[in-house]
Amino acid sequence: MAPEVYNLAQTPIAAHAFNPDRTQLAASLNNNDVQIFERAGSEWIPTETLSEHDKLITSIDWAPTTNRIVTASQDRNAYVWQETPDPETGKLIWKPTLVVLRINRAATYVRWSPKEDKFAVASGARAICVCSFDSESNWWVSKQLKKPIRSTVLSVDWHPNNVLLAAGSADMKARVFSAYIKEVDERPAPSVWGSKLPFNTLCGEYSSPAGGWVHSVGFSPSGDVLAFASHDSSINIVYPGGPVIHNVRIPSLPLVTLTWTSESSIVAAGHDCQPFVFSGSEGGWQVVGSLDDTSGPKSDGGRSTGPVGRLKAGAFATFRDADSRGHSGLVSPSSADTKLLTVHQNTITSIRQYEGNGVQVAKVSTTGVDGTLVIWDANEIAAGNVNTVAGRMGSLSLR
Amino acid sequence: MDINFRKIDIDAYDEDVLQESELYESDPRNPSQVLNEAKQKQTAVRSSLARNDIVGALKTVLQDAPYGPHTDEAKNVTLQTLLTILNSTKSTEIPGTIKQLSPDEQDTLMKYLYKGMAMPGWGDISGSVLLGWHEKLTEIAGTGCIVRTMTDRRIV
Repeated sequence: MAPEVYNLAQTPIAAHAFNPDRTQLAASLNNNDVQIFERAGSEWIPTETLSEHDKLITSIDWAPTTNRIVTASQDRNAYVWQETPDPETGKLIWKPTLVVLRINRAATYVRWSPKEDKFAVASGARAICVCSFDSESNWWVSKQLKKPIRSTVLSVDWHPNNVLLAAGSADMKARVFSAYIKEVDERPAPSVWGSKLPFNTLCGEYSSPAGGWVHSVGFSPSGDVLAFASHDSSINIVYPGGPVIHNVRIPSLPLVTLTWTSESSIVAAGHDCQPFVFSGSEGGWQVVGSLDDTSGPKSDGGRSTGPVGRLKAGAFATFRDADSRGHSGLVSPSSADTKLLTVHQNTITSIRQYEGNGVQVAKVSTTGVDGTLVIWDANEIAAGNVNTVAGRMGSLSLR
Repeated sequence: MDINFRKIDIDAYDEDVLQESELYESDPRNPSQVLNEAKQKQTAVRSSLARNDIVGALKTVLQDAPYGPHTDEAKNVTLQTLLTILNSTKSTEIPGTIKQLSPDEQDTLMKYLYKGMAMPGWGDISGSVLLGWHEKLTEIAGTGCIVRTMTDRRIV
């Protein structure tokens, strides 16, 4: 099945998150508003706009069980949005609650914990805010993880046990912390990451051989393995027991986002505009291919393009291309010159699980700088690409 | 070598500034040891080249390349040694030679190519030789190899 492609905007998409049943989508279209879209057949129709932030929204997460949205922004604030009936009309509206993070730099990334009773906000203030709800005073309390972070935290990911938190940072390190909050959490069972876990325990600190900002981190479905993508065009997979670290280099541009699709496979994407599939086990990891079949140019016919779909032909397309790609279009109808062979026409900045049971993921969604949302079948690896990618890739393991 | 684009130290009054040395693991060897090793490698490379063993010579010089502060002399000796190899390889042999290097060695080779290109006129640097190697190395190791050269703080 071909990937579903939706052109949401002519601007970069900074972040995206789906609601629990995947009928709605919250996205930050490179500005200070959250745009909610609703699925209507093969289109996404913009419905509500959540306006409260003053600056660019960097990250959005939608809690699947409690149906709450949390947003983080460069204005150093986070908001928790809850659907509540309007007292006058009775209509459901999204009501914001400000979370006082107490940071003096931008918030860069936010994720709900698996039990949805906490969330973690990464920031440029060399800190991660772990927020939990204090029902007595009816607000979100933030507690900061600081040591030994030396620079901006770019991403976080929760361990399934609701206590451990992985963080990737611009000081070239991926770390695993304990984010244990006495009031909220039960004592976690001992895991491969440690047994005594008071708040801010550092359970592991890893870096890629050639360094580079750690753009993305992710725990495997079991939580026993950590993967991170760094700016040296490689991903690292950490088995903490040894520790055994597998470093898989790719011959193309750096990856900036990754997600596990099973205990033995990872999908990662970035500046090369296509999602690469990695697979392996404790014995070793390698690139197996790409979800994007880049063997031939994409036809424009099968694309659904959102509200402007029916206007895509002729003069509209000419001016849109001139605007979005600096392509004059007056020269010839062959716009293939400036078109990449990938579905995404620019860097993919976010990849998320779309369909699956948490252990096996069937579909993933990606958004990027080209304003496009793509939903991929995570198990459909383009065969034509395997040889070219695997043939050029280099792998090594460190012990 | 000064490769920083910013000339003003904006962190002069920041007590908690992130130091360059915190960004990579420092070389466990001390500078004089590194220099000795570099000189030994120079001799080993000469004998390899005399036997026309280019791959062996490259592998020798690219192993444990000097990096970090206080190793400028060792770095120069290594660059000089490497240039001897590059200059004495026939252009038709380059792709075959590169394919026999490990990914680590390919990354280190790319670092030296860029170092060489940043120092025009130094020693017997020939721009066309370096560009020839660069072209073939990029074909084989991909743009990822260039990205790793730019990212890696273990500057050779």
